[in-house]
Amino acid sequence: MITEFGKVFIFLLIAILFVIVAIAVSRLIRPARPTYEKLTTYECGENPEGSPWIKFNIRFYVVALIFLIFDVEVVLLIPWALVYKQFGWAGFIVGGFFLLLLALGMAYEWRKGDLEWDRPKPQPPVIKKTKSTQTVINKEEVVEV
Amino acid sequence: MKTTEEIFQILKENFPNSELTLKTDVPTEPFIIIAPFDVDKISLFLRDNPDLLFDSLMCLSGVDDFNGQKVKDENGNEVMQGGTLSVYYHLESTSIRHKLVLKTSTSRDNPEVVSVSEIWNSANWHEREAFDMFGIKFINHPDLRRILMPYDWEFGYPLRKDYQNPEFYQGMKVPY
Amino acid sequence: MGLLDKEFSDGNIIITTTEDLFNWARLSSLWQVGFGLACCAIEMMATSASHYDFDRFGVIPRPSPRQSDVIIISGTVTLKMALRVKRLYEQMPDPKYVISMGSCSNCGGPYWEHGYHVLKGVDRVIPVDVYVPGCPPRPEALLEGLLKLQEKIRQESLVKKSA
Repeated sequence: MITEFGKVFIFLLIAILFVIVAIAVSRLIRPARPTYEKLTTYECGENPEGSPWIKFNIRFYVVALIFLIFDVEVVLLIPWALVYKQFGWAGFIVGGFFLLLLALGMAYEWRKGDLEWDRPKPQPPVIKKTKSTQTVINKEEVVEV
Repeated sequence: MKTTEEIFQILKENFPNSELTLKTDVPTEPFIIIAPFDVDKISLFLRDNPDLLFDSLMCLSGVDDFNGQKVKDENGNEVMQGGTLSVYYHLESTSIRHKLVLKTSTSRDNPEVVSVSEIWNSANWHEREAFDMFGIKFINHPDLRRILMPYDWEFGYPLRKDYQNPEFYQGMKVPY
Repeated sequence: MGLLDKEFSDGNIIITTTEDLFNWARLSSLWQVGFGLACCAIEMMATSASHYDFDRFGVIPRPSPRQSDVIIISGTVTLKMALRVKRLYEQMPDPKYVISMGSCSNCGGPYWEHGYHVLKGVDRVIPVDVYVPGCPPRPEALLEGLLKLQEKIRQESLVKKSA
């Protein structure tokens, strides 16, 4: 007799086998003619410049972390939202406490200024007036002479 | 609103030492011919004078006048010697709503015109295009490189009338 | 690598059946490089859109040449672009096919004489399988070109080519 988790296990096994067999067969029968051009980095046809392993700004880490927290929050809240009526007020308060904790963390982060992203300030184009003043001065000089 | 004749009179009063010519007997709109090294002074005056206020450079175009001497070079191709290349400036004032056409001609063998890219920023790429297509060098231009043709294009300036296509470019045959 | 690709000296019934299967698989899902050059690209997009529906032939635009089987040269190939086109073609995995769409990429088109910047025919840099004439070709013409390409793929063989 196979349990419910056993069925899931067989399902996983078949999925993994399916992928492995597909990749192995295609590796065996596909034509492979590697050349230098084919193996270079794809840059829309341009000459690749530098290494593709570039450093990202560390601030993306904060964004990723916050995204992760709220992603997990959704994952935990959806099953809770489905069943909290069965638990009555106790279930509601537990869920509310969890939400409160997250909101506190968020407020703390906000207050500490970790969500601030110091952007470069946009600089409006400045019309150069230096040359015009020079010519005006020149004209006055001419008049005086 | 000022006509080209009135603007020409204003320019004559303010630039007594410059060569200025008014052309009205042309099928197009009348234009003013100025010297290639006065372009920046006159342009700045046109932009900042409160009666003129030409704040927009609509178009800057190079033209090969093809008025020199036709000479055969050693390969039998016709080559132009002497003559002029011209640059046309189409200006507009968005506040006073009048227009003006300026023309300047420079020698074909050493074409040099003063840049106006400091005065109108839109001139930057237009001047690069004129340089790319006709080889007109714009003095004081911040970044005078080819803009349309490849950077390694060594076969001359393609919109000149005596331009000859190269046989090969990077191993690709160019003529039909 | 390539256990079966052009490795056989003669075709028996097993090999011809296998190659029929291969050809059928290849011609039924020709993924194209999402790549447009000029006005022909507008017609190519119209072909991909709902009215002409390129997708019913299995043609899906892909964002990378690594995942594509066919490149449609849709428009004027300038000398500057020709080098990029060549590299894009070389970065596609085998087997790869080329449809030259429109007069410009077939032979230079209206730029054949005075186009100082135009490559007179994309076949000067990459091998072309199907030429679609027109300036630009209607979507029906591109569909016809695709059918011709499918016919060509149907004739392919796993047998080694004899000199």
